[in-house]
Amino acid sequence: MTSADAVDEGDTTAGDTATGERATRMTDTATGALSSGTITDRFATVRSVALRVFVGDRLGLVVFLGTLAFVALYWRVGIFITDNYTLANALVALADGHLAIEEAVFGPHLKTPGMVFHDGAKYGRNYGQIVFALPFLWGLEALAAVADPGLILPMLWALVLVALGRESGRVLGRPSLGTNVGVVCALAAFAVNVAVARPLAPRLFPVAALQVSAIVATALAVVTLYRLVGRVHDRRTGVAAAMVVGLATPVGFWASVPKRHAIVVALALGICYALFRSRQSQSPDDLVSPLGFRAIAYAIVGLTTWVHGGIAFGIFLALVVVDVPTARSNDIRSLAVVGTVFFVSMIPFFVTNVLISGDPLRPPRVLYSFQYPTSDAAGGGSTGSTGTGGFVQSLLDVLPPVLATPVIAVLDRSSVLLGEFVAGANTLSSDPGRLYRVFVRGGDIAGVSRLNLDQTIYLTVLEAAPIVAGVTAACATGGVRLWRSVHRAPKNLVTRLRSRSGAFKKSPATTVDAFVVALATSFLLMYVSRLPLHAQLTVRYLHPFYPLAVYAIARQAPLRRAFGTHWQAGIWTWAGGVLVGSQLFVVAVAAGSLGRGEAVQVHALAGLAVAAVFAALAASSVFSDRFDRATAVAGGLAAALGTDFLLLSGLVYFQYGQYALPAAGWVADLLATA
Amino acid sequence: MDRSRLAVWGAVALICCVPVLSGPVVGLVDLTKAPLEGVGDGSATIDDVQTPDTARFDRALSSDSYVLKVPDARIHVAAIEGRPLVSYKLSIPAMQYSRATTHFLSADDTGWVDISLARETFAPANVTQSSYEAELSLILRVNDTKQVLHDGPITVEVTE
Repeated sequence: MTSADAVDEGDTTAGDTATGERATRMTDTATGALSSGTITDRFATVRSVALRVFVGDRLGLVVFLGTLAFVALYWRVGIFITDNYTLANALVALADGHLAIEEAVFGPHLKTPGMVFHDGAKYGRNYGQIVFALPFLWGLEALAAVADPGLILPMLWALVLVALGRESGRVLGRPSLGTNVGVVCALAAFAVNVAVARPLAPRLFPVAALQVSAIVATALAVVTLYRLVGRVHDRRTGVAAAMVVGLATPVGFWASVPKRHAIVVALALGICYALFRSRQSQSPDDLVSPLGFRAIAYAIVGLTTWVHGGIAFGIFLALVVVDVPTARSNDIRSLAVVGTVFFVSMIPFFVTNVLISGDPLRPPRVLYSFQYPTSDAAGGGSTGSTGTGGFVQSLLDVLPPVLATPVIAVLDRSSVLLGEFVAGANTLSSDPGRLYRVFVRGGDIAGVSRLNLDQTIYLTVLEAAPIVAGVTAACATGGVRLWRSVHRAPKNLVTRLRSRSGAFKKSPATTVDAFVVALATSFLLMYVSRLPLHAQLTVRYLHPFYPLAVYAIARQAPLRRAFGTHWQAGIWTWAGGVLVGSQLFVVAVAAGSLGRGEAVQVHALAGLAVAAVFAALAASSVFSDRFDRATAVAGGLAAALGTDFLLLSGLVYFQYGQYALPAAGWVADLLATA
Repeated sequence: MDRSRLAVWGAVALICCVPVLSGPVVGLVDLTKAPLEGVGDGSATIDDVQTPDTARFDRALSSDSYVLKVPDARIHVAAIEGRPLVSYKLSIPAMQYSRATTHFLSADDTGWVDISLARETFAPANVTQSSYEAELSLILRVNDTKQVLHDGPITVEVTE
């Protein structure tokens, strides 16, 4: 795969991408000639540039549309978790043109988790996310001016299906077949939805807008993983990775829940992609130079501050640790470009903070009740402050107040944030057993279940996404390499390390690998002191682990070999596991009259069993190709269990609000009475 | 314009038209009428009721507890609209126990409809007699009105 922008073979319309590409360059060189172009031409140009920027290529568009179509199947318009109230009320206020929240449009009152108080006014948090939802709210309101509110979401979904069919047909070289299938499916699905349609109260639009924005962010995250893996390896692997992360991990679970997770995952993957491109040599077709991509990586970190400052700090540390030592050049010009773009990208964050607290470095999350109340974190935070108070303080005393004040503010905030990492490291060294409760087996954990309404609905990373077990292949590869380097002469080791670091600088993929490890470590350190925790369901604090693990799996040559050779076995097992497995789960839950917590634990145990087998087979694939077929089958089954959990949690276990697609609600009602 | 383009734009036009036809501006039809305008609203004509004469305390499987098993009642629905409620209630005065299960009828519940009562488990110490006299009632609730379909005694036998 040379370029993700390559036009798909068999494309009868001769590829809008390429045409648009030429048109773009034309507009760049001869702006004056633009007036001669028709509006259709200009629209085609805009469309092709948007296509390249957001989804990469036509296959990316298929991945994007497919994710939208899938996630909407179990989209419930409503409030899932209490701090959704805060965001929804903040969005209502913002749509009215002010930041302060005056009225509890959603929820019983304004004292909901995440609401902050400053100077007698109430504010929300995650303003970047709220601003991102604003255009979707306007869109919904505009549509509702002429269209029946209850039919808007089914209409949009049907349009997605039409586009999905058309684009899939083009990608597969069967344009008319794809179009026909898409049109027939869309019309049939739309007819069913209209037949069982129910009214949707327009007062729910702010919630729906937040959900649409999260769903779009999820689809962008999935497509970004496709683009990344597609560039690191090939597009087929990219599509496989994207499908796994969208269909078989909790990324789909949180897709329609208006929390920060979907957006954070999209931003984190965007950084991975930008970092990769910043290390690739530029081809003449590229819209952005490698240095530009490096700046984009930092710009995305800057935008992340607007969503969640603490997470942005963790991502920033991981990026700096990997980017600076491996950059092609850290000369003044590069650093100036990167620094300027980074600063500019944080302006929305600063402005929001100034408007709310009057201090650009005081985001809503640190107002009133502090976000990090665990005793460990407080200990870590005070250690950091003591550090600033001693040696650094004496330095700061020399500086004039104009310079010293912002420096003190930055140090103060970062010491608090660093405290999180210290607390995480302390927790890991003093209580490593906790990782078992986070990654392997959860079950009935005292304290967690009680606060989860006495239900055992806590799932670990492996239980929620058994496919993640494939990272054992990476561990096995690492073990083999370590063993080999230990068994060589020490002198040799030094030269090997030196040559490795050279290779590291040259290989864009290795840089991304290092960033992925750094990012995962950063998230683990930030959150491990608070885990396991209630209201997590799928360890959502570590949400980026799922796409990062899928990336790690896609990077393993033995697994690519196994799934590449036996992809049909894998896909058929997955399909069978979804069609038969989901019904078996429904029957088991109905037959056993299982409560929600019990049903979730059935998924957990089934997931763990399959994960164990897949883990062993994935590790074995490093040493031999004898079990490749079994590995593909186990992988397909592990993925199917992830999909089953997404579908059943959405349609059976966690029902709240009304379904965006009335037909899905009808199916859910049917399953509820079964 | 080739056929597949025509199909796409035709489908898009059709899909976009329907919500507009049902929308606030055109409003030719209302496709999103609330099918259940509140639970308990509507009407129902019940012309026959069958209720059991006896219920049983059975030993639970692999434990000493008792499970109270009340056979289903049956009602014959002649006509129905909306979502009327039927509540099926058993009370055992000697045990100061009472349990009701409410059923939501829907438009397709015509003819004979089975009304069940959720099973409940009792600790062995609570079941002391060999049989209990109980009250069984079946009440139809529509539009905030109550219609007693059945109210009578029932014997609960304890099986060893």
